[in-house]
Amino acid sequence: MSNVSRVEPFGDGFITALCPELMLFAGMLLLILVPNLGKGTFRIPGTQIRLPWLLGGTRFKFSSDPRLPAWIASLTLGGAFLSVLYIFNQGLERVVIVSESGKELLLINGFSRIFELIFFGALALAAFSSMNRLQVKGIGSKVSEHELYNNRRQADFYILMVTCALGMSVVALAQDLFVLFIGLELASFSTYVLVAFLKESKVGVESGMKYFIVGSVASGVGLYGLSMLYLWAGSLQFSVLAATFAVSGTTALPLIGIGFVLVGFGFKVSAAPFHFAAPDAYAGAISPVAGVLATASKAMGMLGLVRMLLIVAAPESSDGSAVWLVCLGAMAAITMTWGNLAALGSDNPKRMLAYSSVAHAGYMLAALTAVGAWNWDAAVAGDASAAAVAVMTALIFHLVVLVAFKLGAFLVLSILESEGGASRLSSLGGLAKREPLLAVAMFIFMISLAGVPPMAGFLSKLLVIMGIVRIAVGDMGAEIADGGIYVLGDMHWVWWLALLMVINSAISVFYYLRVVVVMFFDEPEQGREGPLPGGWQVRVAILACVLTTVLVGVAGDSLIRLCEMAAQSLNYNW
Amino acid sequence: MQDWISMPLVGFPLIASIVLLAFVSNTNESMRKRLADPIRMATFVFSLVLLAITTGMFFKYFGNVSWEGISFNNYEFLHRYSWVESLGIHWSVGMDALSFPMVWLTTFLLPVTIIATWNEKNGATYFPILLAMGGALIGVFVSLDLFMFYVFWELTLIPMFFLILIWGGADRKYASQKFFIYTFTASVVMLLGLITLYFFQNPSNPLDYAGSMTGRTFDIPTITQHALMENSDGNWYLGANIQKVLFGMLMLGFLVKLPAVPFHTWLPDAHVQAPTGGSMLLAGVMLKMGAYGMFRLPISLFPHALEYFQLALLIIGMVSLVWGAIVCLGQTNLKKMVAYSSVSHMGVILVGIATMQPMGWAAALFMMFAHGIISPMLFAVCGAFKHHYHSMEIGAMRGMAKHSPWLATSMMFAWMASLGLPLLAGFVAEIMMFIALWHFLAAEGWSVFWMVGPALVLAVTAAYYLWSMQRTIFEGGDETQPPSSLHGGPVPDIANPEKLAMLLLAFFTIVFGVMPWIALDMMHDWTIQIFEGLILPVLGDFNGGA
Repeated sequence: MSNVSRVEPFGDGFITALCPELMLFAGMLLLILVPNLGKGTFRIPGTQIRLPWLLGGTRFKFSSDPRLPAWIASLTLGGAFLSVLYIFNQGLERVVIVSESGKELLLINGFSRIFELIFFGALALAAFSSMNRLQVKGIGSKVSEHELYNNRRQADFYILMVTCALGMSVVALAQDLFVLFIGLELASFSTYVLVAFLKESKVGVESGMKYFIVGSVASGVGLYGLSMLYLWAGSLQFSVLAATFAVSGTTALPLIGIGFVLVGFGFKVSAAPFHFAAPDAYAGAISPVAGVLATASKAMGMLGLVRMLLIVAAPESSDGSAVWLVCLGAMAAITMTWGNLAALGSDNPKRMLAYSSVAHAGYMLAALTAVGAWNWDAAVAGDASAAAVAVMTALIFHLVVLVAFKLGAFLVLSILESEGGASRLSSLGGLAKREPLLAVAMFIFMISLAGVPPMAGFLSKLLVIMGIVRIAVGDMGAEIADGGIYVLGDMHWVWWLALLMVINSAISVFYYLRVVVVMFFDEPEQGREGPLPGGWQVRVAILACVLTTVLVGVAGDSLIRLCEMAAQSLNYNW
Repeated sequence: MQDWISMPLVGFPLIASIVLLAFVSNTNESMRKRLADPIRMATFVFSLVLLAITTGMFFKYFGNVSWEGISFNNYEFLHRYSWVESLGIHWSVGMDALSFPMVWLTTFLLPVTIIATWNEKNGATYFPILLAMGGALIGVFVSLDLFMFYVFWELTLIPMFFLILIWGGADRKYASQKFFIYTFTASVVMLLGLITLYFFQNPSNPLDYAGSMTGRTFDIPTITQHALMENSDGNWYLGANIQKVLFGMLMLGFLVKLPAVPFHTWLPDAHVQAPTGGSMLLAGVMLKMGAYGMFRLPISLFPHALEYFQLALLIIGMVSLVWGAIVCLGQTNLKKMVAYSSVSHMGVILVGIATMQPMGWAAALFMMFAHGIISPMLFAVCGAFKHHYHSMEIGAMRGMAKHSPWLATSMMFAWMASLGLPLLAGFVAEIMMFIALWHFLAAEGWSVFWMVGPALVLAVTAAYYLWSMQRTIFEGGDETQPPSSLHGGPVPDIANPEKLAMLLLAFFTIVFGVMPWIALDMMHDWTIQIFEGLILPVLGDFNGGA
């Protein structure tokens, strides 16, 4: 790896390299400290002198405001997001953080940074709009016991949001199985609690329990796989693992290990057949959290899969296909079809979105499969590594724009939820009459999810399909021009995944449109005729999502380039 | 040269409608009622401006373009901006004699539709959506980039979906979703075909307007040029197998949109439930997107595959022609009957294409145009019927000639135009198709029994139109009772704006029936050019030639 600066922890350049993460860390400390600031004093023993101690005692006016944690968390996450953007804008420096013995722990490059962009963006939007979802009564107003309780636990929720972001960013940077697992668990445990956060509701507790049990089993299996990899290679370093895999990768032990790891991350991306907890978790969690699960958490799982499958178990360049190709391809096909078919039958909009997110996981797995097939036939593969970069670009682009329209859809539901439940499709009834702009926003999210131009979702789906087709076709065009004769069967079979993907997109239109029809056609439910609950924060967040969805769809070139840069900086063994 | 003039044709209606809708959506109910009038006027004036631009193009006021003699794969008002540079996507617009009549037709139908549905409810949102529809349709016809073409192709679905969903009939929910899913399914398959085609380009051969990331281009003129070079005699562009598959994938999208039997079932549902304005644009322009797409992509790129699938297309066309007409006989719903007659007329287009004769293709092009003027009139009549008598059943209202002479006259005129009365626009297209088919059968030495279908259709079409007229316009006499749906109220004739719309449509039906050469010359010229530039060089002397 050329022009990578190696930095030891707390050495030169450590702070600038890890600026966003340190911001999160500082934000977390602030979240713990600031709401506890008060007029507490400290008496020097044996004297009557009291020194102001600031912790405890009667709290100051600003520190007793229950909205404070939300603001701190939003500003922290938003600041981290902006700092990553600033880093991109300034020109990225590749930095690797090494331990004293020279082991690589964290790698900072375009690839890991763009995933941080996804995590921080999604969590910042979710935290910002949770201010309206977990409403608090401001200081000075009379509060009931329940409201007081709600006010009190604000800090917990937002600390978990920040730790979640911290864990995810560690996963993005990790170059070592151990670091990876620590980050993964930090993020996972935060999401387990976030899902179960509404502990006074039965659904919340049940879904949190389910998510926790299934999730920890998946983590356990994944950890077992990681330990097998360690047993086989004798190292936790990605670089060492990859080098060993290139030599003796096709033996049983590493393959079983990789298989187990696939289970662990398969749960995170909610790939079939490990997706069963996802619909319950999404339905039980409050909508902004469900949105985080569907975007940031999924991106984290996808990131883990990319690291394990493309870096550790890298596809061989001599005979092309990766060992896991068929397995992953089958998983992609099943996931997208299962997700779509299940979404057809669900009346709960959150479950519907959960299944649609399963389907989207299938599309992304299909893209990953195509990367694995990048050099499948030396005769027609052509510029295979460029093709593989194109698919990776599509995958990253899809994950980035997914934040806008998937999270946006959950935020719209969040407004309805704070009004009193969004567990039936009819909850959305008459939204077009009650608040037209919100209905239009939801409409844009729905058609973007369905992949209708000119929304961002169309561009991302197009890029994925284009990437898959490009791998499948390779350089056949040039070969044909030189007189080669090919038939459809000569293309790599991943082309059929692209076909399955477009058919699935067509199926998915039905359930996305159903939401639109209900919004614009049906009457509101009994007792929901009045204006929707207020709160400008969530509406601002939705507006940001709408603007991103439309603008990226219409003029997405710069984002594509950014993702391409990220895809290139992912250091494959090519 | 004012090359950029086609940009505002696409962009301004879309932008204007978005601005108007955003403005309207922030107002309350009563404000919206008050806004309906100014917004209607604004969209109307705007659509007139668009019409003025396209008419100016025809009369060489803009650009001084002669629409006759544009050779194959050459475009006027061609303009390109880079859009997504990394993928080779351009904002690329241009027109030839294939697309210009359709663009003019769209801009003509837009004000006429606004006039015909002058008093539509929720006007403040209805008229901007119509405008958006117009912009998207123009976009389909002028775009010369596969990506842009697909974007506009799908974009037309959104305003039409809302037109049906919000202003439609009782069963609008089902119809709008069926419409969207049917056409979307077909077009995603088409999209995969387009992408596969895109990657079958040869990047080692430097292409114009190629993307920096992929080395391939979405630019239609470049691809067409490339395909033409590779499609030399006996040599199939991309090889026989792949060309056939891609042809099939693209045709699927266009056949569903056209629609051809057996993919036609979305059309009657959509039409019956759609509001008058939606139906007028749907039948008038949107169906023609299918035929337009066929000429622009599969036919221009894959002439070998066209020859290979000629018989299949002929059969599909014949079946659509006959089936559509026979189903019409059984309809009791006026609008459903008209919808199925559209299926039948689209069959004419397909048969015209399948003859692979210049005259057959000119017939198809002229049918696209003529049906684009006649079918909006049919649906305007149906809409007026529904609006005034609150029923669509044939026989619910009788003796219309007495109560409502204006509506009766318009209906009779439209029906006659649709069944192909000489000196009206529809006749020209049909007779040309017959001659081309006859010519084709003679040249190929095929049995004349192929003529039975179209001949039968002539009789059947006359039968169902005359039957429905007899039951609505004439039957009854003095003792005729107004339909029960009027609850004994007075029997109204159509309103003044509707009269004006009918007159305009009737006027142009006569103009293009008596003087078809106004539009036919450029169309015929274009088919001669595509035969000289593409079919003859690629396929050799063919079907007895021209």
